[in-house]
This record gives sequence, C-alpha cells and structure tokens, in this order.
Amino acid sequence: MANTMDQSAVLAARQAYNESLAARADKTRATWFPIALLIVLLALPALQFVGNYNYLLHLTLFTASYVVMASGWNILGGFAGYISLGHNVFFAIGGYFAGMIFARTGISVIILAPLAGLVAGLLGYLIGRITLKVRGPSFIISSLALVMIARILFDNWEFVGGAAGVSLPANGLPVQWDKLPAYYAFIIMAAFTVWVCYKIKHSKFGLGLRAISKDEIKAESAGIDTRLYKALAFAISAFFVGMAGAVWGGYLTYIRPNIFMAILVSVYMVLMCILGGKGTIAGPIIGAILIVAFNEFFVATLGASEINIFATGVIMALALMFFPLGIVGTLAKAGKLPRILNWD
Amino acid sequence: MSNTIQIAVLGLSLGGVFALMGSGLSLVFGVMRIVNLAHPALIIGGAYVAYWAFRLYGIDPLVMLPVAAVILAVTGIILYKVVFEKDAKAATYSEMTVLLTFAMAMVVEGALGTAFTNTQRVTSPDYATDAIFIGNVFIPTGQLYAGLVSLAIITALALFLKYSRFGYAIRATTQNRDAASLLGVNVNYVSLVSFAIGLGLAGAAGALVSFVFSFFPAKHWEWIAILMSLVVLGGMGSILGTVVASFLLSLIAAFVGAYLGATWSTLTFFVALFVILLVRPQGLFGEKPELA
Repeated sequence: MANTMDQSAVLAARQAYNESLAARADKTRATWFPIALLIVLLALPALQFVGNYNYLLHLTLFTASYVVMASGWNILGGFAGYISLGHNVFFAIGGYFAGMIFARTGISVIILAPLAGLVAGLLGYLIGRITLKVRGPSFIISSLALVMIARILFDNWEFVGGAAGVSLPANGLPVQWDKLPAYYAFIIMAAFTVWVCYKIKHSKFGLGLRAISKDEIKAESAGIDTRLYKALAFAISAFFVGMAGAVWGGYLTYIRPNIFMAILVSVYMVLMCILGGKGTIAGPIIGAILIVAFNEFFVATLGASEINIFATGVIMALALMFFPLGIVGTLAKAGKLPRILNWD
Repeated sequence: MSNTIQIAVLGLSLGGVFALMGSGLSLVFGVMRIVNLAHPALIIGGAYVAYWAFRLYGIDPLVMLPVAAVILAVTGIILYKVVFEKDAKAATYSEMTVLLTFAMAMVVEGALGTAFTNTQRVTSPDYATDAIFIGNVFIPTGQLYAGLVSLAIITALALFLKYSRFGYAIRATTQNRDAASLLGVNVNYVSLVSFAIGLGLAGAAGALVSFVFSFFPAKHWEWIAILMSLVVLGGMGSILGTVVASFLLSLIAAFVGAYLGATWSTLTFFVALFVILLVRPQGLFGEKPELA
C-alpha cells in the first residue's frame, strides 16, 4: 500500500516537473505572432477596396497552398524521417477527386476538399502499409516509382480526360473578388495544418514518430507499433496534400496530369522543408515563402522553366551541402532562433 | 510463333543498351553506397555530345563513344571532388545523399534544357534505320550494334574488375569498405576512380542512346525509374545482376508492349521496381537486404 502511495507521489512530482517545463517553454513562445499573422492574412483582401492587389493575393494563396503541402509532407518526411518524392500523387488524387465531382455535380471544391483529403489519406494509408516496409533510399526510389506509375495511369485514363485533363467552371465572381474563396480556403487550411502539426509534435504519436526517425529498431523494441505509426503519418500527410490539391484544381479551373504530377511539385515540398528546417513547425512556412519568392524572381527575370529547374536544383544542392538543418534548425542549434519563429 | 520470336528479339536487342545504362549506376552504388539519381541525366549529357558531333561534323556516334565517355569521366572526377568526397567517406546510405544526387539531376536537366531546349533529338547514322533479316525475323541494326557494343564494354569492365589489381581493390571496397581500408586499399582513391568509371559508362551509354532512342533533357525522369528497376532487380552493386535484369525486364516489357500497347511497356519497369523493392529488396543477385 505504502509502495503504491510512493509511486503515485513520484508520478505526481514528475508531472508537476513536466508541467513547469512546459510552462517555461510557453513563456518563451511568442504565441501572439502566428495569431497576429493569421489575422493580417485574413484581413488582407480588404486591400481590394482601395486598388487591384490580385497579384499579391495570388502570391499569398500560392504560398499558403505550399504551406499546407510542405507542412503535410513534413509529418512524414520531417517527423518520421521517411523522405517521399511522390507526394504529388496525392496532390493529383485530391485535385482529380474534387475536380471530377465538381465538374459533374457543381458542388464547390472547397466543400469537397476535406472529403478529397480523406480519399487521399486513405490511399496514402494503403500505399504506406506497402511501401513503408522499406527504409532509406529504397523508400525514396519506391516513391519515385509511384509517381511514374500514377502519371501513366492518369495520362491514359479516359474518364478523367487523359493527358488533356478536364476543364472546370470558374466561380463566376467579378475579377476583383474571384480569388477570395480559394484565398480563404488556403489560409484556413494552412492555419489548420500548422495547428495539427503542432499538436502532433507535442503528442505521444509525435514522440513515436521522432523515435522512428532516430532509430526504428529501438523504437519498435520500446513498444511502438512502428508500422501503424508510419502508415498513419503517411495517411495524415497525404490528407493535407490531397486537400490542397482539391482547392488548387478549382482555383486553376482545370485539372491535368502535367500540372498536378510535375516532378517540381514534390521537389518543392521537400525543398521547402529542407530550406526551412525539416521536422520543425515554422520551417515549412519559411521554406514556402522563400521558394515562392525565388520562383517569382526567376520567372520574372529569366522566364524559361528550364532555368527554373536549374536554379531549383542548385539551391537544393547548396542547401543540402551547407545547410542540412535548414534555417530554423541551424538557428535553433546555435541558440539564436528569434522567439517569433519558435513555433515548436 | 515467328511473331513471338520477333517480339523477343526486339526486346532483347534493347536489353544490351539498358544493361550498359544501368551498370555504371550499379558500380557507383556498390563502391560508394550512393544511389546516383543524376546518372540518367548524365547519360543524356553523353547523348548530346554524340548528337552535336554528328549534327555539326557528321562524326559517327560509335566513334564519339570514347570521347563522350572521357568527357563524362572527367565530369565525374570534378563532381566527386566538389560534391561527394565527404559523403563517400561516410559510406553509409543517407537520404541526404540521394536528395543531393536528385538535385544534381535537376541541375543537369536544367542546364541541358536551357542550352539545347526540350526538342526531341536523335542521331541518324545509316545503320540506325537499317535492319538485318534472318528468315522472316528482322533485327534493327542500330539496336544490334548498340547491344553488341554494350556487351563488349560490360565484358571489358567485368574482366577488369575480376583480374586487374585495381579491380581487386574495387571489389574489396564493395564487399567491405573498412576491411579493404585496413588491408591498405586507398578507398577514397578507389571511390574516385569508380565514380569516374561509372560516369564514363554513362557517357558511353549516352552515345549509344543517341541513335537508339530519341531523347530530350526531361526524359531522364522516366529513365531514373527504368534504370533503378534494373539495378534493384539485379541486386544493387552486382553488375552481372544488372545485365540479367536488363534482358529479363526488356523482354517482358516488349511482350507487354506488343500485346497491351506501347504505353504500358514502360509501366512494366515501374511496376517491377515497386514489386521488387517490396518483395525482394536485395534483388536477384544481392546477398543481403542492404537497402531495406
């Protein structure tokens, strides 16, 4: 009896200690910053009353869409350490699922987005149960094979328009306001994704994923159901990427394999996480802002898409060689991470 | 019956070229444990060397083959010194190295695409459009020559690895890097030379590819998965395995293409890659599931 008393006293003391640690971490965290950022972004379309800021809105929603995708990728690639170069498949699945229903029934892709995400997530779970058996380079190669298979299937699937794709009706709003539905959808999805990433990172599930990324065999012997955890991480990351695909298809007003399954889409997801900091919460956001800015700069100054591929490759190689931890990771390691970027 | 033989001959005649394309990749993986995703992009680089020599000066691609090989080998030495020396010393599989070679593939594709555009190119020496008839089975001469040259190069490579002292060192490094190092093999130098040979093989393959397939810079994405399927099926690092896998898969792909349509013949390689990785990641000739 006394023994159990002691035990519960120890447990209580440990819990109190953990809470004091968490409270200290909360104090150093600038929670107001992401919230303020979100409010500013939500209020941004008001600029349309005083002028034409469509380009700014487009860039912001483009960045937000990549925040959704990169943060989603980060759950598998950053937290669990399984690098997938095939996540654009889920982008395509989300886009096609919502787009085809939209084209036939007229239900808005934004309403369909969560459903499209679930379909992508389910597929991600099933594919993950198979491909996550292999680790390291084998997994990367299998993810590349997945893209190749999906690309050929979509190119030849007449029901979804084959290589030519399908056009979707525009939303019919005046030009000044027609970006708003997609804009708000992406901003809200981005905020939701980042919040979920935060919650995952601070859960038992997130700890399990981190253990898997460090040493899978030890994680398994510590009692973590690694196969389930990995497949769930795959499913959750596919869910977010699929959701982004659904809204992106509606925003572009057409769905076509060479847009959704371009290799650059999945490279950007990887690159954003690496540049910003793999496995961190703020990393993919910073990476998304940087890459979209780079992209606009290269398209504006040089134009050609080939030089864009070249530049992306150079940036990626340099980042991997000299900055493998990314901006947030490197700063955090040096103890110089500004408080407003410490979202972990 | 003769139809079946015809399909088999066409499939096998491509196997030789694929074997050469894959063997460099396999060699580099064996020695350095680097999955070089830039290999196919560099093959296309070699193909451009042959293409421009043919287009501008009318030089036969088979004559340009050694030149392309040397150019790519020198590129390999530079790349090794600048990019891979650090990773080669670690000699462990690392996701970061795979991503690095992936980035390099993009750099090569972007550079080639900027310089030469994404137009489809092919060199057309006389033999490329000719064919030899044996009974009523025809063999495209271009593919026949390419296959024979490939097999000759691979045989030379195999003999070099088997009988020369440097070949011993390469094989020792492949089997056990630390033990080789203890026995006085300069593994860093071996890695450098193997990487140069690997890319030299890419250059040679490029010269052959230039008249067997039409090519453009972005085509390497398709080839990455094709070559990986050959190398993985054969067992990463096993050159004999790569050769066997090349003939096997190109034979299957030819039949799939003949009966189901050409689109699906490429799919054979991708599905094969997927299945092999999951069912037997060590491949046909691999000894242990190294990659898994």
